Amino acid sequence: MAVEFDGGVVMGADSRTTTGSYIANRVSDKITELTDKIWICRSGSAADTQAISDYLKYYLAMHSVELNEEPLVRTAAALGQQMCYSNKNAVQAGLIVAGWDRAKGGQVYNIPLGGTLVRQPFSIGGSGSTYIYGYCDAHYKPGMSKEECLTFVHNSLALAMARDGSSGGVIRTVVITKDGIERNMVPGNRLPIFYEGP
Amino acid sequence: MGDNIMAYNGGSVIAMAGKNCVAIASDLRYGIQNHTVGFDFPKVQRVNEHTFVGLPGLLTDTQTFHEKLNYRMKMYSLRENREMKPQVVAHMCESLLYERRFGPYFVEPVIAGLENGTTPYLCAMDLIGATLKTQDFVLAGTSSQAMFGLAETLWKPDLDADHLFEVISQVMLNAVDRDALAGWGCRVWVMTPEKVTVRDLKARQD
Repeated sequence: MAVEFDGGVVMGADSRTTTGSYIANRVSDKITELTDKIWICRSGSAADTQAISDYLKYYLAMHSVELNEEPLVRTAAALGQQMCYSNKNAVQAGLIVAGWDRAKGGQVYNIPLGGTLVRQPFSIGGSGSTYIYGYCDAHYKPGMSKEECLTFVHNSLALAMARDGSSGGVIRTVVITKDGIERNMVPGNRLPIFYEGP
Repeated sequence: MGDNIMAYNGGSVIAMAGKNCVAIASDLRYGIQNHTVGFDFPKVQRVNEHTFVGLPGLLTDTQTFHEKLNYRMKMYSLRENREMKPQVVAHMCESLLYERRFGPYFVEPVIAGLENGTTPYLCAMDLIGATLKTQDFVLAGTSSQAMFGLAETLWKPDLDADHLFEVISQVMLNAVDRDALAGWGCRVWVMTPEKVTVRDLKARQD
C-alpha cells in the first residue's frame, strides 16, 4: 500500500512470496526503486512485476538523461500503465507507483490488473488488500502527518497479514520526501497485534 | 475446491514417540483457501483415556469423521464395557475409510496412544485407509514436506516427556512458518502414563 502526505509518500508491503502454498521467500522486498524518488509496490506474479520494474527503471533512466531533470511520478505511472494495458492478456501485475517530484509533491498512482491508471490519496493492492478495505476507509483521514501515515500503514498491513494466507513475514516501509529516502523493517514478532481468537 | 482438495483448508498434524510417552501437535488455523477464517480449530481430539486422533485434510470431513469415530467408540465401550485400545482405534479408522474407497473422506489420520497405558503406539493412514505403523514419528498435512525434514533431523529415540515436547514444538513451529495454509497457533498434547498436558505455543499469526 502507499499513502500520500504533505511532503511525500509512505509505501509499505509484506514480505511473503509463495509458490502454491509453500512460502518460497519469507523476507522478500516488494518495494522496488525506479528512480531516487520514485518507487513501486509490486503484487501479482513476481516474474511479471520484476520484468516490468526493470523496463521502467531503464526507460526512466533514459528519459531523465534526455530531459536533464528528475522524471515526474506521473510519467513513471503512465509508462507502467502502458506496459500493463498493452500486455493485459499476458501479465498478472498489480502495481502502485509512488514518489515525490517537484511539480506535484507526494503522489500515489494505482495500476490494478487490467491496466487502469488512477491517482489516489492512498492505495492498497495485493491479495491481502481485500481484507482491509473497511479498515482503511474507516481510519484514513486527509492531512495526516508522516508518523500518522506510518502507523496507518503498519496497522493495515498487520491486519491483512493476519488474515491472508498469501501475506506475512515482515513489514517493509519506504518513506520518500524531497530530502531523500527512509527504509524501515518491522519484524514479525514486533507487529501490532489485534484480535487473535478466544 | 480447486485442484488439490487436501489443501483447500490447510493444516498439519504430527505425532512423536518418546520413552513411555507420546506427543501430538496440531496447528489451529481454519482457512478457506488463502482466507483465514478462524484461529481456534485444532485437528486433534483425545478420543479416549489413552488415544489421540488427528485428522488433517478437508475440515468438513475432519469434523464428520471425528463424529463417526466418537459414535463407534462409545458403542464399543457400551457393548464391551471397556476402553478401545489404540491399535483397535487405528483398525477401526482403516475400516471406516476403506468403506468409502471410491468416494473417500478427505482426511489423513494420525493416531497416537499408549498401549496398556505405557507403550507408545503411532499410526498414520492415507485417505483410503492404508496404514503405516512406526516407532518414531508420524505426520500429515500441507506442511508435511517441511515437517519430515525437521523431524528426521531433530527426533531421537527415548526422549523424555519434556524433551519430546521441545522437539515436537520446534518441528511444528518451523514447518508451519514455511506454509501459507497452516499455522496461526499450535497446540501440543503430551501423554505419559500419569497424565496428559496440553499447551498452546506462541506462534506467528500470519
